[in-house]
Amino acid sequence: MRLVLSAFCLLMGALLFALPNLTRREILFAVPVPPDFRNSPAGRHAVAMYRWAVAAAALAGTAALLLVPANLFDAAATAVPLALLMVSGAGFYRQHRRLALAAVQYTRPQEAEMTVAPDKLPGFAWLAAGPFILLAAAALWLHFHWDLIPLRFPVHFDAAGQPNRWAERTVKGVYGPLFFAAELCAWMLVMALAGWFGARRSRSRRVMLGGMIGVEYFLALLFVLIAVQAPLGFPVWVIVLAPLALLIPLISVWSSKMRGLGEPMDSTPNERWKGAIVYYNPGDAALFVEKRDGLGFTFNFANPWSWVLLLGLALVIASGLFVLG
Amino acid sequence: MEHPPRLRIDAASGVPAVRQIADSLRVLLVEGRLVPGAALPSVRRVAMELGVHFNTVAEAYRQLAAEGWLELQHGRGAVVLPRAVPRVKGQAWTEDFRTRLRRMVAQTRSQGVSPARIAAELRTLAKEVVRS
Repeated sequence: MRLVLSAFCLLMGALLFALPNLTRREILFAVPVPPDFRNSPAGRHAVAMYRWAVAAAALAGTAALLLVPANLFDAAATAVPLALLMVSGAGFYRQHRRLALAAVQYTRPQEAEMTVAPDKLPGFAWLAAGPFILLAAAALWLHFHWDLIPLRFPVHFDAAGQPNRWAERTVKGVYGPLFFAAELCAWMLVMALAGWFGARRSRSRRVMLGGMIGVEYFLALLFVLIAVQAPLGFPVWVIVLAPLALLIPLISVWSSKMRGLGEPMDSTPNERWKGAIVYYNPGDAALFVEKRDGLGFTFNFANPWSWVLLLGLALVIASGLFVLG
Repeated sequence: MEHPPRLRIDAASGVPAVRQIADSLRVLLVEGRLVPGAALPSVRRVAMELGVHFNTVAEAYRQLAAEGWLELQHGRGAVVLPRAVPRVKGQAWTEDFRTRLRRMVAQTRSQGVSPARIAAELRTLAKEVVRS
């Protein structure tokens, strides 16, 4: 388990290290800049400063996970990923503040098609049904292999891979993770549809829809593995690594598609962005706008529907605490 | 397949969005690219595409309804009306037209466009008007 978590820490570090490259060329640390800015000395310096911090934190964290005594390993396993995220977040925000001085406002004429033709979903949208089929198939399999499930089985593990919470062979204990996953996937699907119909027509909207369907598959796979681990008895690290094996190519394809779109950036006003990540513009009817960190879309928090969707997530999480608790 | 007509506004132009939308829509109506009986997309859809508030588009639709171009149907959106061309009396319109044109020319020149280019654009536009 030490090796798995250390590898996970390195992988996380590699993803955060690559973050500045995952965005459009006109965006650096969530600041709109001229496309050639990142090749300038100031741009290269900002990227290097951020990367030094992330690389140092990732290497130190990996070393800590490999070397800490066994009695401190649990604490380290929680603290290291959190510290890595905090270092990366602080580095990102620091560079964001520095580059804000070099920000440019991308404005392009906005156009609207004067047609009442329906805004059709792309052909691949039916793939969103896949995760629900996967969850239903796992539930059916568990139903027909009920006797394989131990009367009491582990459902939560510590950093060393040792079980620290157990469930009983009841409907709630066996199907709970699948039910929670179905709720999460349903919420993701609602988000994906709200993103399609609540964002400006663009090619990036299509990529966003594909990415969100991909995340649904990730969630379904993760919870299916959790649900069938007890009867099948495969090692716990499979639950961590198999979904990651899906997530990493997904992020890579998603980011490459976003960067390769070749369409101008959503020209949201700079002054309507707070702290690089929050968009609040009562004068914009869109519910979703393209993010400034380059990774998909985010809410326009001035649109009341954004709060309704977040309330939906809160309800799903509350339900999860009950179902999995 | 013919592309549907498009509304276009430029946030950087300094002209209020409601006026840009009304003007742009009027061009489509005058040029016959939106014909009587055609339904317009919802206020919500147009506002989202243009990055403006719903009320801005609703106000532009109302202005054109007041001019007799559109009929606003509650819950069913806006429909283009057949509109009789009003008869022009006297020469008062020429003074108004020239004043507005002069203002636009001055604004364009102040943005650095040469008089020769403006004149060429006006000639092209005049030919298009005669053709239509």
